[in-house]
Amino acid sequence: MLPSYLTMAAILFCIGLYGALVKRNAVIVLLSIELMLNAVNLNLVAFSKYGDVPSLTGQVFALFAITVAAAEAAVGVAVLIALFRARGTVNVDEFDEMKR
Amino acid sequence: MTDLTDLPILSIILVTPLIGLLVILLLPKHRNRWLQTAAIVFTLIPLLLSLWLYADYDKHQGGNSFEETATWVEVPLNKETQASNGVTSYTLSFQYDVGIDGLSLPLVILTTLITAMAAFASVHVKKRWKAFYAWFLLLETGVLGVFMARDLFLFFIFFEITLIAMYFLIGIWGYFNRERAANHFVIYNGLGSAIMLIAFILLVNTAGFHIDQETSSFIYSGSYADIVHNLSDPSAWVNLAPDQTGGLNPFHMSAAMHTVIFLLLVVAFGIKLPVLPFHTWMLKVHNEAHPAIVMIHSGVLLKMGAYGLIRFGIVLFPEQAKDWAIVLASLGLANLLYGALIAFRQTDLKLVLAYSSISHMGIVLLGLAAFNQIGLQGAVFQLVSHGLISALLFLIVGSLYERTKTTTLSELGGLVRSMPFISGILLAGGLASLGLPGLSGFVGEFLSLLGLFDSQPWIAGFSVIGVILTAVYVLRAVLKTTFGPIEERYLAVKDARLVEALPMIVLLAFILLLGCYPSVLTDTFQYSVDGLFKPLLSLRMGG
Amino acid sequence: MDQLTKAAWLIPLFPFAAFLLLTALGRSYRLAGVLIASIGSLASLVMSLLVFIERLGPNAVDYSGDSYKWIGLGEYTLKIGFEITNLNALMLVIVTVVSFLVNVYSAGYMKKDERITVFYGYVALFTFAMLGLVLSDNMLVFYIFWELVGVCSFLLVGFWYAKPAARAAAKKAFIVTRIGDAGLLLGIIVLFWYMPGHALDFSSIHNVFTEGQSGTITTTITTSIALLLFMGVIGKSGQFPLHVWLPDAMEGPTPISALIHAATMVAAGVFLLARTFDIFEASAAAMHTVAYFGGFTAIFAATVALAQNDIKRILAYSTISQLGYMVMAMGLGSMTGGIFHLFTHAFFKALLFLAAGSVIHAVHTQNIHEMGGLGSKMRITAWTFAIGALSLSGIPPFSGFWSKDAILASALEENPFLFAVGLAAAFCTALYMSRLFFIVFTGKSRLQQPAEVKESSKVMTIPLLVLAIISVGAGFIETPWNGWLGSWLTDGAEDVHASGAAIVASIAVGVLGIYVGWLMYGKGSIERGAAGAKMPWLVHLLERQYYVNEFYDAVIVKTVRAVGKSLNAFDEYVIGGAVRLVGVTAGAGGRVLTRLNNGQTQTYGLTAIIGLIVIIAAIVGRRFW
Repeated sequence: MLPSYLTMAAILFCIGLYGALVKRNAVIVLLSIELMLNAVNLNLVAFSKYGDVPSLTGQVFALFAITVAAAEAAVGVAVLIALFRARGTVNVDEFDEMKR
Repeated sequence: MTDLTDLPILSIILVTPLIGLLVILLLPKHRNRWLQTAAIVFTLIPLLLSLWLYADYDKHQGGNSFEETATWVEVPLNKETQASNGVTSYTLSFQYDVGIDGLSLPLVILTTLITAMAAFASVHVKKRWKAFYAWFLLLETGVLGVFMARDLFLFFIFFEITLIAMYFLIGIWGYFNRERAANHFVIYNGLGSAIMLIAFILLVNTAGFHIDQETSSFIYSGSYADIVHNLSDPSAWVNLAPDQTGGLNPFHMSAAMHTVIFLLLVVAFGIKLPVLPFHTWMLKVHNEAHPAIVMIHSGVLLKMGAYGLIRFGIVLFPEQAKDWAIVLASLGLANLLYGALIAFRQTDLKLVLAYSSISHMGIVLLGLAAFNQIGLQGAVFQLVSHGLISALLFLIVGSLYERTKTTTLSELGGLVRSMPFISGILLAGGLASLGLPGLSGFVGEFLSLLGLFDSQPWIAGFSVIGVILTAVYVLRAVLKTTFGPIEERYLAVKDARLVEALPMIVLLAFILLLGCYPSVLTDTFQYSVDGLFKPLLSLRMGG
Repeated sequence: MDQLTKAAWLIPLFPFAAFLLLTALGRSYRLAGVLIASIGSLASLVMSLLVFIERLGPNAVDYSGDSYKWIGLGEYTLKIGFEITNLNALMLVIVTVVSFLVNVYSAGYMKKDERITVFYGYVALFTFAMLGLVLSDNMLVFYIFWELVGVCSFLLVGFWYAKPAARAAAKKAFIVTRIGDAGLLLGIIVLFWYMPGHALDFSSIHNVFTEGQSGTITTTITTSIALLLFMGVIGKSGQFPLHVWLPDAMEGPTPISALIHAATMVAAGVFLLARTFDIFEASAAAMHTVAYFGGFTAIFAATVALAQNDIKRILAYSTISQLGYMVMAMGLGSMTGGIFHLFTHAFFKALLFLAAGSVIHAVHTQNIHEMGGLGSKMRITAWTFAIGALSLSGIPPFSGFWSKDAILASALEENPFLFAVGLAAAFCTALYMSRLFFIVFTGKSRLQQPAEVKESSKVMTIPLLVLAIISVGAGFIETPWNGWLGSWLTDGAEDVHASGAAIVASIAVGVLGIYVGWLMYGKGSIERGAAGAKMPWLVHLLERQYYVNEFYDAVIVKTVRAVGKSLNAFDEYVIGGAVRLVGVTAGAGGRVLTRLNNGQTQTYGLTAIIGLIVIIAAIVGRRFW
């Protein structure tokens, strides 16, 4: 059972990674990041069920991760809105404030 | 006379410039005269103390004298116990460990002497006196520390202090391209330090430990004595192959590792010496830095390279040194001839002297490569002698530049007419540099070649060509400056002032003393050679 | 009764003290300076004479003073000390006599020079160094003083520093002799390692190389040591091919030419040959080399002297030629002959130079064709010069005849070819000396201001007279019928070389040379330009001194320059270029990496991912590898 969960999580992660690295729209990038987090959550739950030492800890941990992800998404979107107000765009290519 | 061993004399010598540094920081910054007086006073004290040290040093004793030890940094290490020798804890410990022997003592005196004279020569510094003398005194402490340190870590720290102090001294008070020169200096020497650090870490990891039986703790340390002891003890772990200790011995230093460390040390200190082809930084420094700084640089700092090469390279790895002697000798010959031939073509007095330093350092390498008592004695003698001579010559260059505003040879000439004293000293310094007997240059040259002939007769034979070439370029430069028709604009310049003449006379007096009675110097080193080389030689050469 | 011998170390210290005093006093005390220096050299003269007289006693043995440690070298120590042998005592006398007379003479000659005290200081320093050289008891000390005399010579040649020619000559003198010295130094180093017990003192050298212990040193080594030492001789004593510095050294004040470049320093090479004679005798090859070099130099320099027009250059080439004689005598195994000629030559050549100096002082030119007819105006100078010239030309009973005859006689015994060379050189010698004498002192005056010429002052003429007297009488210490000098020098080991044929031949060539010279330049019955008109290339060749200088310029100096230049370029472009390349590469690498730092989060993320993949690949890959 475990391999199929892991495969599923890997596919999810890769899709998320692709989206995070390639998509122009900042909202999509944020969504992709969520996708990656969810892939990790899937792994946590899968290991807590089918791992060598099954226990509930993993599932509890996943819950925490979801909560934190929600908070992170909220902060992320807030930053995005602030950026949009300042720059009038959500195109990631045009954000290069970290240059130099 | 008080027994010096009761006093922490070495620490006093080391700390005096630092006290001077504090004093200078407290003085108002526009009082040039006060600042210089303070600097002179606080460089003269170490000079007097080191001369006292010389008087009290037991020449026949050979090993370390006046040693002072204190634990400085102690870090408990969390390491899985192998529990072989009943060791219960591991500690990394760095010592404040200073001492002198016949190798260090002459260089310590050379340092204090030349810094004091350079302090006199700093009259020509034109700006930011306070910062200048502060860095200057820090530099002295650094150099003295390098020659006194008996702990690798301490050595490294002092070595780096000189680097930083020198960087600012070159970069702020030099001539036109000073910043470039300072950058070259720091990059090359930083690289050298990095390589040296790698070699030191390898050394500490393999040979730098001892087991404290009382606390049954295993102490990693950079102690030079420990390393020498371990390397020279055939039953020490560092000398046992893994199959002799039953499988695993992380401390074993294989023959290949010996060679690697030796070569790392040669490169690290070779950059400082400098050995071809790592010499370009030195030319820039000689050309761009303030003459007072070049005095210290050429007079003392270059010697740190040779000192390190002897103390770490050759003493710790005599076998490798012997195997690579032919390479060292060839490099020495290359340095000697290359420097001399290029010096012959230079159009600037400073660059002639810079290439002459390269050439003379070649003689040091030749003496080291001889790998016998005479050659080593010659190398050390040449170090001290070249330190005095180049300091003297750059002192003169500084005084000349103040008067002529140029050091280009084609614009100089006939200066003996208006400046008989400076020109006379320049001529004497030049003659010392080309190895005139009776002046110190000859003794180093002669002993190095004499020693080298026994081990590498052909290279010694070729080196004699260097003796001729040296005469050619030195006379060309010196006579171009002092003899010949004088230019109108130099007729009115004044001869040396007292504050300039004094260090010239002192340096020349030392050059004469060493040239006429070299035993003053060679005796201190003669007995130390045994102390330095016996332990490792007897192990490795089967003698 | 050998108290004085034991105190002989004092001899060099008198002039040294004078030197120190003069340096300390400075330039203002002109008369005091002259007096101090003269008294210093007089003191050493008196003491040398006393030592010499002591050595004449029947039971005088070689005396080695205590030696002092100079450098400790592990188990061996380099020492300094002094030694008195008969040879040393003789040299002491030569050096101090000439030095004292030159001191006196210079008081007149250098009177108007503002740096006269500096001059006297240098002369005193030179005298100290030369006496130290003579007294030294081992090779190392010998070398030290050898170099010191060299540097004094350098200082004095360049005494008139403002003249570019003097500067060039001083530099040349130092560097050319330095080439020989380098060989000498190497010779000493080789000697050090091969001598039993690393002894460098002359008595050990004597013992090792004579008393059959030479088995420890192979012939090859002996020969190479001897040849290396001979390099030093070639440099110092102006032998071909390193003779080029000596004629140029005439840029120095004339008393210096007399003292250093005729009587003492240049003879140091011959003295070295004498002191290390045992080494040379142990190697036939070395002896032959020495003899042929000497013979060649003798004839070579004598022919050059025929065509020179500068009075001092003629004398300089004459010196080279006579030194060639001495070296040849050494090479032929006749140490007595060599030293005897050194002895007589020191006096008559010093006389010739001082007389020439007197002429130059009077007429302010050195070109002999601008002189003429000076004999009537400067009688003492002319007569003493004539004595010197006759002595040099080998006319009996003047001293030069006896010594030259001793050499020629031994050459006739050993090597007829070199005997012929010697005779030819003797003919040239007589010819150029008579040419010089007749052009300068007889005939019509060709001076610019003839009225001004008058005899030099007494302080200059008295040394001339003294030297003239010695030049006449000094030859009688070794004559074909009385080999006193030889037996005294070598403890009777060397026989008198006497040969009627040699005597007759040598007188004949001498007289012939003078006669031809008189015909050409005195009487004028042979047209002066006759030889030149027939063989202009030969005259040109001689005038240009066989183009040796030009050859060195073209071959050696240019090569060194070119090598220096190319190495300089190498340093600048290859090594400097490599350094710059490293710098540029680092800069370029930095710029490339800066491009990655474009401020875009996604690029950063991508870079991080690529890095992660590389790391994973490395870890995984290592399993399989």
